[in-house]
Amino acid sequence: MTFLSFVLRNIARQRVRTTLTVVGIAVGITTVVALGAVAGGLRATAGAMLRTGGADFIAAQRGSADLTFSTVSQKDWTAVAGRTDVERVTGVLMNVSRLGSNPYFALLGVKPEQLALAPPKLERGQLLQPGHTDDVMLGSRAASDLGADVGSTVTLLGRPFAVVGIYRGEMPLFDGGAYAPLGIVQQLTHREGLVTALYVKVKSGSDPRAVAEAIESGSDTLTTVSSVDEYGKVDQGVEAIDAANLAISLLAVLIGAVGVTNTMIMSVFERTREIGILRALGWRSSRIIRMIVGESLLLCLVAAVIGIALGVLATKALLLVPAIESFLEPQYSSGLFLKAFAVGVGVGIAGALYPTVRAVRLSPMEALRHE
Amino acid sequence: MNEAGTIDVTGVGKSYEEGRIRALDGMDLHVAAGEYVALVGPSGCGKSTLLHLIAALDRPDEGSIVVAGHDLAHESDLSHYRARHIGMVFQLHNLLPTLTAVENVQMPMFELGIRSSERERRARRLLGLVGMAERERNQPTQLSGGERQRVAIARALANEPGVILADEPTGSLDSTSGLQVMELLESVCRERGATLVLVTHAPDLALRADRIVRMLDGRVLPDAREREAAGFRRAPGEERRLRALFSRAPEYPRLPDFPCAP
Repeated sequence: MTFLSFVLRNIARQRVRTTLTVVGIAVGITTVVALGAVAGGLRATAGAMLRTGGADFIAAQRGSADLTFSTVSQKDWTAVAGRTDVERVTGVLMNVSRLGSNPYFALLGVKPEQLALAPPKLERGQLLQPGHTDDVMLGSRAASDLGADVGSTVTLLGRPFAVVGIYRGEMPLFDGGAYAPLGIVQQLTHREGLVTALYVKVKSGSDPRAVAEAIESGSDTLTTVSSVDEYGKVDQGVEAIDAANLAISLLAVLIGAVGVTNTMIMSVFERTREIGILRALGWRSSRIIRMIVGESLLLCLVAAVIGIALGVLATKALLLVPAIESFLEPQYSSGLFLKAFAVGVGVGIAGALYPTVRAVRLSPMEALRHE
Repeated sequence: MNEAGTIDVTGVGKSYEEGRIRALDGMDLHVAAGEYVALVGPSGCGKSTLLHLIAALDRPDEGSIVVAGHDLAHESDLSHYRARHIGMVFQLHNLLPTLTAVENVQMPMFELGIRSSERERRARRLLGLVGMAERERNQPTQLSGGERQRVAIARALANEPGVILADEPTGSLDSTSGLQVMELLESVCRERGATLVLVTHAPDLALRADRIVRMLDGRVLPDAREREAAGFRRAPGEERRLRALFSRAPEYPRLPDFPCAP
């Protein structure tokens, strides 16, 4: 008989209680994993937006609550493009609206000549051509949703377009969207002379961060975003989901820790006499601590494995909702799974603290007298 | 003879409930290695307290206890002391209910760093020694009272301690089972040269010991012949106290005078 098998035997004594405790912690860890995967997906989408067009950073309207609400004037675009340390500035007008079953269809207006400098991954057909105002490129998912292909005609914002190319978008939001000439999109959305954001590529040898800071400090209306961590400047969504993720995760950990503490207190209390016997047989306090913490940790690690599996299943279930599937691709990183295990270990140790202190403080004689 | 089994108790006092109950009061006792000593006396006279202090399950308020050369007042690792030098047999077997007999016997060996396979081998051998080889996979609830105590004896011998402390090991058994358990305990202790200190209320079991130490009010009661040889006269009222001592357990016959070396 090994020490581990002894610990396992102790856990298996109260099967119903053990199972309920594991379920309680697993639900908490499921929440951590599901929210983490969703938050990761949103951050990945934000990151993909930043990288579009091979830009070093984006410039958008300062104080914008959501990037799609941002408005940048032609004057600002011209000013940024006129800087000597900037190689190119691509203005993109983004319009998000319902199209068919997709509630978040992203129509991206861009000048064809600028799109050619950093094009999306073309699956078939060709890129937009300058002067061809009736053309559109569809993301593969949008093409599938609309039943369209190269040569088809689709109606976007009430206007017919000829599909000239199908591209593979990096994220669901882009894959389910389309590129059209900037002037036409501005006209259809009644935003002539305006774009949503400027994608800035600095000249070789220039420091992108320094250029971004210079643009920001030289403008009353523009802010710059160089990384996902700065995304909150133009979009509160990622920050909100991060905050919700942290709050709910902490709550889940707290509830889990309380549940484990309760279980372990009961378990230790019921075994007070046995702990006294073990002390009388020569077991050190450190071994008693290892026994109780080991039981708690094992409970939580089993719960972590179950919680991770349920978390992945929960996010897969979320994707069954078309509205979510159209813009979100959950991200399951090793960091997320490590976090889930860390939560399990943390809950296990936290839950074992008080019962362990109680067991160790008990004198062998007191424990042996316990009925 | 195993020299690791000597016990020296000198001037030991122990009180409970903030001094209201004086369990031991200047207790002196020397037990030689390999000796079999029976502690007798009425309930509350301090027999079990003395046993617990020798086992380092509790600490004395005053006095010193030296076991196998270890002064318990200065012993830094009492757990190791218990695991290495003391084997305990309780009145209520105190086996862990979820473990089998062979697993219970392994429990004291964990602290001595004995490998799992060796623990199991040694536990099987000990269960064979106490006649429980056939029941090694049984849990305590599947064993009779006598069988449980046999397993408890095997467990007490697990680390080959120099001292076995038995606190009324037959108290919950019928007379036949009790006698068998005692014969087993005595024989394994004698074979191994282990010191056996037995707390009992049963005179017939006490009579089997090398020496009987009678206790009253937390002290060793001097033997009558020894007192007379030393020129003492019985104090007024002591006769009455002595009679009262044994009249508290009327089912037991009066113990004869045994050589007593407090």
